[in-house]
Amino acid sequence: MFKWIKLGKIFDPTVVENIEWMHEYAQAPATLVFDDFVRVYFSCRSKRDKQGQFISYSAFIDLDRKNLFNILRISDEPVLTLGKRGCFDEFGTYPISIVKKDNDILAYYAGWTRCQSVPFNTAIGLGISRNGGKTFEKIGNGPVLSYSIDEPFIISGPKIRKFNNRYFLFYVCGKKWILINNKPEMSLKIRLAFSYDGINWEKHNKNLIIETNGINESQASPDVFYANGKYHMFFCSWNPLTFRKTKSRKIGYAYSKNLLNWTRDDSKAGINISEDGFDNEMVAYPHVFELDGKIYMMYLGNEVGKFGFGLAALQGELK
Amino acid sequence: MKWKKLGQIFDFNKSSFKDKFISHSQSPQALVFKNFVRIYFSTRKKSENRKFLSYIQYVDFDKSFSKIINQSNHEVLALGNLGSFDEHGIFPMNPIKVKNKIYAYTSGWTRRVSVDVDSGIGLVVSKNGGETFRRIGAGPVLTSSLYEPFLVIDGFVKRFDDIFHMWYIYGTDWKIYHENKNPERTYVIGHAISHNGIDWKKENRQIIESKYKGECQALPTVIKKEDRYHMYFCHRNSYDFRNNPKKSYKLGYAYSDDLLNWIRDDSLSGIDVSENSWDSDMMCYPNLFVCFNEFYLLYNGNDFGKNGFGLAKLIED
Repeated sequence: MFKWIKLGKIFDPTVVENIEWMHEYAQAPATLVFDDFVRVYFSCRSKRDKQGQFISYSAFIDLDRKNLFNILRISDEPVLTLGKRGCFDEFGTYPISIVKKDNDILAYYAGWTRCQSVPFNTAIGLGISRNGGKTFEKIGNGPVLSYSIDEPFIISGPKIRKFNNRYFLFYVCGKKWILINNKPEMSLKIRLAFSYDGINWEKHNKNLIIETNGINESQASPDVFYANGKYHMFFCSWNPLTFRKTKSRKIGYAYSKNLLNWTRDDSKAGINISEDGFDNEMVAYPHVFELDGKIYMMYLGNEVGKFGFGLAALQGELK
Repeated sequence: MKWKKLGQIFDFNKSSFKDKFISHSQSPQALVFKNFVRIYFSTRKKSENRKFLSYIQYVDFDKSFSKIINQSNHEVLALGNLGSFDEHGIFPMNPIKVKNKIYAYTSGWTRRVSVDVDSGIGLVVSKNGGETFRRIGAGPVLTSSLYEPFLVIDGFVKRFDDIFHMWYIYGTDWKIYHENKNPERTYVIGHAISHNGIDWKKENRQIIESKYKGECQALPTVIKKEDRYHMYFCHRNSYDFRNNPKKSYKLGYAYSDDLLNWIRDDSLSGIDVSENSWDSDMMCYPNLFVCFNEFYLLYNGNDFGKNGFGLAKLIED
């Protein structure tokens, strides 16, 4: 089992004042390391409107590289604009994942649209930054990864990686909307697509991670990190039939030699809920990164990050 | 081109479909068999929230098109599952024979909140001669992409030289033209190719020029005659097109000798609205096919095909 030492909560969006669009939630952290600071992209939510609807925006905080608990700045505007009327990203951009490409920075994000029979649908869009990652411009109004024969809806949760000069996009797709007490709940599976230019994608068209919690198990946040000759994936999973009651989402783990065939072994994940604090009900949506010779994990606490995300450090190696 | 109208060959209100469905026989699309011609179309039911759901049905005509010899009395294709692109209707459906099966490209509709709908193009397959169809998967074969952000629909597929060509439309704009009115859509014609009919590569450009900004182009249909490819489609204004015959659907025409470059010239279409008739205000949803070496054109008339469809026969090049 890996041993993660929890270092505490990094950021709580509910204490941020005077930012209308950053009312609560700081979801799906994704890091980009600069010389003096670590930029953490995440997604937050506006206040709910009269109909109880909110919009997710993506933003960043910069953390002091020498002390990650020292927040240097908070982005003063969302890093992505919402899509035009009728577009896939008209009602939100969440989550977001970042990679450098030459002098540009690419952001992959799930865009949200609202539907009638189910609450929403999503597809994955691309933004390109030419100002060091402060904001991202879209190159078209549509998504770069959308629905297909075996991936009918909810293309979401992008995690962009570059290995051996090729881009790998880990993401989830919806397989089923299940009515639980007349409320549609989604069954999500972890998927993969490949690209040489980051724009044109070829889907692998297979589930990467077997279910351990029934065939309807939902999986999300497939965060892949290379170390010691293999690829390590930390993700989270839950049972869509019961999670509203149990409030349970768990961090799982799988490894692979070739990025295509994954062996799941959640018993190795090594991180769970705390006895009290912001993560005493839920530890979910992991993101693993390396900084100055150490390996860290950021993760969401209770209510899927409503009160922010925390930081843990790996003791030992990812093997 | 010069077409002779054979009149409205199918009247929904005189058919037994009106026992099960409320109205419409839209976008008639022909599949020619040895002894008959099957014409698929979309007809409507009302859902519990009083919105429409379009379903596929068919009628079989004898080859003189004077008599209906059979019709569907069963579910030809179920609607999609909860949350799928084709949950709220299939309109239209384009059939094509592929080896000993029948493929059909469906246009699936799903309801949105800020705009009426979105859509995608699916593939269904029949192994019983086109009586019923099953999906190859729950998702679409063609959908929104970087430069075609929404409303990918109206797929029409033909094979030329062993390559599958699909002409379809994609949305370019959802716009509110009058205060307190719903957004209206604008769409244009695109093209994709495939080697197996399943995996498609988009050309990623508008292939038929617009006559004016905000022109809507819909339901392309293509046929080859000698060495030339002929395309019919319908076009209308983006707004005020429902009740104003000047802005409502009419047929457009373009031709190509290489399937890449199309020259639009509606004046050469050889067919136009009638006077005081079932197709005097509107002509839409054309479908070209060949039967007994003759070229035919199916289409809907007034009210978007609410009452039936008609047929025309090519009499002059």
